[in-house]
Amino acid sequence: MSATRVLVVGLALAALGVFIWRADNYQLYLLALVGLTAVVGVGLNVLLGLSGQISLGHVAFYAIGAYVVAILTTKTSIVFWLAWPLGGAAAGAAGALLAVPALRVRGPYLAMVTIAFGFIVEQGAVEWSGLTGGWNGLIGIPTPSLAGYKFAEREIAFLVVILTAVTVWLFARLEAGPWGIAMRAVRDCELASQSIGLDPTVIRTVAFVISAAVTGVAGGMFAAMSDFISPESFPFFQSILFLLVVMIGGADRVLGPLVGAIIVVLLPELLSWLAQYRLLFVGLLLLVVLRLAPGGLVGMVTRFSRVRIKDRYPNASRDVTAMLSAAGDRPSLVVRGVSVAFGGVKAVANLTVAAEPSRITSIIGPNGAGKSTVLNLVCGFYQPDEGSIRLAGRELAGLSSDAVARARIARTYQTSQLFGELSVIDNVLVALRRGRLGFRDLLTPHRDPEQTALAQSLLAFVGYAGPLDRAAAALAHVDRRLVEIARALAIAPKVLALDEPAAGLDPGDTHKLGELLQRIAAAGVAVLLVEHDMKLVMAVSDHVVVLDAGKKIAEGPPSDMQRDPVVLEAYLGAQLNIARDRKTPRPTGNTILATKQLSAGYGGTDVIRRIDIEIEQGELVAVLGANGAGKSTLMAALVGLNRQIGGSVLLRRQHIELLSTSRIVAEGLVLVPEGRQVFPELSVVDNIRLGAYRRSVADADVRCERLLDRFPPLKLRRDQRAGLLSGGEQQMLAIARGLIAQPEVLMLDEPSLGLAPMLVENLYDLLANLRDEGATILLVDQMATLALSVADRAYVLQSGVIRQQGQAAHLRANAAVVQAYLGAPEPAGDRT
Amino acid sequence: MLTSAVITGLGLGSMYGLLALGFHVTYAVSNTVNFAQGGTMMMGAVLAFTLSVTAGWPLLSAVPVALVACALWSILVERVAVRPFVRRGSNSWLMATVALGIALENVALFTFGRDPRGMPPNYLTTHFVVIGGLKIQYLQILIPLVGLGLALGLHAFFQHTRHGKALLAVVQNAGAARLMGIDVERVTTLAFALSGMLAGVAGILVAPLFTVSSTMGTLFGIKAFAVAILGGIGSAWGVVLAGLVYGVAEAFVTACLGSTYTQIVSFSLVIASLTVMPNGLFGRAGVRKV
Repeated sequence: MSATRVLVVGLALAALGVFIWRADNYQLYLLALVGLTAVVGVGLNVLLGLSGQISLGHVAFYAIGAYVVAILTTKTSIVFWLAWPLGGAAAGAAGALLAVPALRVRGPYLAMVTIAFGFIVEQGAVEWSGLTGGWNGLIGIPTPSLAGYKFAEREIAFLVVILTAVTVWLFARLEAGPWGIAMRAVRDCELASQSIGLDPTVIRTVAFVISAAVTGVAGGMFAAMSDFISPESFPFFQSILFLLVVMIGGADRVLGPLVGAIIVVLLPELLSWLAQYRLLFVGLLLLVVLRLAPGGLVGMVTRFSRVRIKDRYPNASRDVTAMLSAAGDRPSLVVRGVSVAFGGVKAVANLTVAAEPSRITSIIGPNGAGKSTVLNLVCGFYQPDEGSIRLAGRELAGLSSDAVARARIARTYQTSQLFGELSVIDNVLVALRRGRLGFRDLLTPHRDPEQTALAQSLLAFVGYAGPLDRAAAALAHVDRRLVEIARALAIAPKVLALDEPAAGLDPGDTHKLGELLQRIAAAGVAVLLVEHDMKLVMAVSDHVVVLDAGKKIAEGPPSDMQRDPVVLEAYLGAQLNIARDRKTPRPTGNTILATKQLSAGYGGTDVIRRIDIEIEQGELVAVLGANGAGKSTLMAALVGLNRQIGGSVLLRRQHIELLSTSRIVAEGLVLVPEGRQVFPELSVVDNIRLGAYRRSVADADVRCERLLDRFPPLKLRRDQRAGLLSGGEQQMLAIARGLIAQPEVLMLDEPSLGLAPMLVENLYDLLANLRDEGATILLVDQMATLALSVADRAYVLQSGVIRQQGQAAHLRANAAVVQAYLGAPEPAGDRT
Repeated sequence: MLTSAVITGLGLGSMYGLLALGFHVTYAVSNTVNFAQGGTMMMGAVLAFTLSVTAGWPLLSAVPVALVACALWSILVERVAVRPFVRRGSNSWLMATVALGIALENVALFTFGRDPRGMPPNYLTTHFVVIGGLKIQYLQILIPLVGLGLALGLHAFFQHTRHGKALLAVVQNAGAARLMGIDVERVTTLAFALSGMLAGVAGILVAPLFTVSSTMGTLFGIKAFAVAILGGIGSAWGVVLAGLVYGVAEAFVTACLGSTYTQIVSFSLVIASLTVMPNGLFGRAGVRKV
């Protein structure tokens, strides 16, 4: 603590000391009550603020501590000074016991468990009347005495003040220490905390025990200073008050509970006319705090004062390459014969793959091929049904993900999973320990200078140049990726697995990412990369493995993969040379859907920029592009699901970019979304009928029957739940659902995704028929050649902007399309 | 004695079930639990009492007005205590609905007064049916009938009407539901109004059997929540069945061991069953994808 802080605290304590000397009994009682409430608040803050678990039954621990002290001091010869810690220990044990069910449930279920616990303890106190005096409670609880001197109100107040100060100080140490950071990490993102070696169960249980024990200690003191206690001293409502104390002051703040206790205890005293309306006041105050100041009062104050703290930037003072190479031996990761199935569908089948140290091994394949599943299997998120995963001969299959992390396999996620409320540097610091937390660490500060220097160097190594103390949730997209990689490197991994790290990055940042991956491999780490960005894959990989439908279809050096016909077919689509020519001439004329300088994105960054497309009535227009190019964002923006929009969208010359989705659908722009998205519990017929919900189609029933006639497999299963249909049938269903409303423009997002080749052929024949019947269709598909076989015109999207556009026949012959996909010159062969 | 326990249990249990249905409806549509439900139930009872007894209205007008008030109150709860937090992606709606429930209870406290009041006898409580030597009030037959009837009605609404299916669609896939043109916000408001009315019905039916007081809602709401959790908050039939089981079990324990053990036993059962089945007896775990 700094000198000024010591001075301030010392003055405050001194002032309190004077107050205690001069105050009357009632004021002393209030002071003690504030102190005890603050102590409970601190205890609850460990659970709620640090560990993110709600408790609506905390008064139970208070009661346990109180009753233990009362029973021991009235019925046995044990003195207060021994009974007091015993009360805390009893409450802590109860907390450990409660943690068993509590940790298995979340959200409202957790609330229920804590409420139930509160009631059980209260009723238990009533029932066990032999020990607790039942409803009458226990009277004549002796006040503590020291060396024969009996404590009066003054001494008790003094004792409580010391207790409060010590508790707050201990919380400050815990909060700043490795356990506090670990608790917060588990709270912010349990998944990512496991991937750095933390065991959430252990951490949450410790939080429970500490929280319960502290509350029990406060309860024990409460018993000693009250003449008598009974079950009525610990009503259910008290648990709500304790929660209010933490929330008003500010959860996860050191001084929060103190401020909260002062307000909650003293305000009703000052405004005694409020007494009758106390509950109303409490309820409304809680609501206001939740709405307007979710960080509590202390949170509000710190937000204003934070402006003055100067930003720190990463300083590369330690040799990260040496740290990574010093990890000892350099084993290979060998995945052999691994399979896993979900709900009867094999996601990965008999896969054998190896990642060598100092090399970058990439896994590529179309969507749904099982790439992420492989990563999840390696990292312990899924357990394989068969096969083995070995690192240096040690079998890892079947281990939990935190155990795998401790075995030095690190990973990043498709959507960056950072600890949002922790600062950037803390995100990396928490990983450095690789999950090792001992007893001694409960009170040691974690900002060890050596570790801090190492964390900074890691951040500098990955190329992060922003402030160290910024909250991770506030970072821009590319920084999130970098910090996640730095955090993964902090566990000194032997294997680093990355899941589509280049997604959403512009070419410049992707290039830097590639260089970073090469630096990491050069330090001896085995890098396993799952990616769609072919330019990156081809530039950095030493070895490429190609998956399709859960199986390995090819592997070898990148240059070979670029020319392999099997790979090309899997990526660009089967039947490279079928063109589904028009049987009817295209109606010319009105532009029905147009966008002008449309941009859209997420979280402050734009994914697509300055998009100008036009679709004429009766046309089939395709939008092509690799993953991450922005195709789905474009669809979402057109239909009103993406609110971060610039530019305009015009349907029949009317602006629709500001309308709600339900209005846009009513106007006739219908989207068949990616991944089918049927309503699994509703029948086939009900699914189709829901398509007509908004458009109030006149003869919906008749149209439904006609659509069923058009899709015989659907007619066969008309009353079956949609969730039971196969992928191809669900896709048909989704299209039928889109067609029933007679849309002005039918948009389809990746309709061929996850479908077997023959079904894809059928699907595209269907689209050709619809086109010939005069429908206006906007089609997005990564199977470029397939899409071009039915389209009249197409746009090629890359990194969020349109790079190419034109007649489909023209594009079919154009190398640029292949370029966009495989990052290489087109393979030989006639492709018309 | 046991048979009368069963009858009481069925009656109480179907009221727990009704309230729990209210929890189910809002959870199903918006993934939130309205902890002010107990208070809403109390409001239904208090309003019905005030209008019919204090103001002298006929029951046939007092009851619908009370129900509409419950629906409006629940809509307010959604607007003020749920929507802003869901939008933020925060879980604070839990505490916020608790807060509103507390506020409502206090308002009832200083308008209605602290003392519990009994409803005056009416046709349903003064007339009996005698089965096997046991006197059963008409009301005690009516309650489970209403409870089951409402559950059936809700089931029919969800399974056989266009709007009911739209509501279910929101549960099953909110994104796709939006693409169908379903107004998810309006659906949520409707769900809350519906759950408020269910709570109001429960309060009005239960009032003549016990007393009406400003504190009657809290414990009832907590038990109904336990029922919803036990039944698996995502399943309508699950919560109704769980309600009946809970009510009968409670009545049995009261008859055999005395009323003070009831809460210990029932709440211990809740914790035990959640330990074994963390998603409730009839619920299903969500899918985790990474």
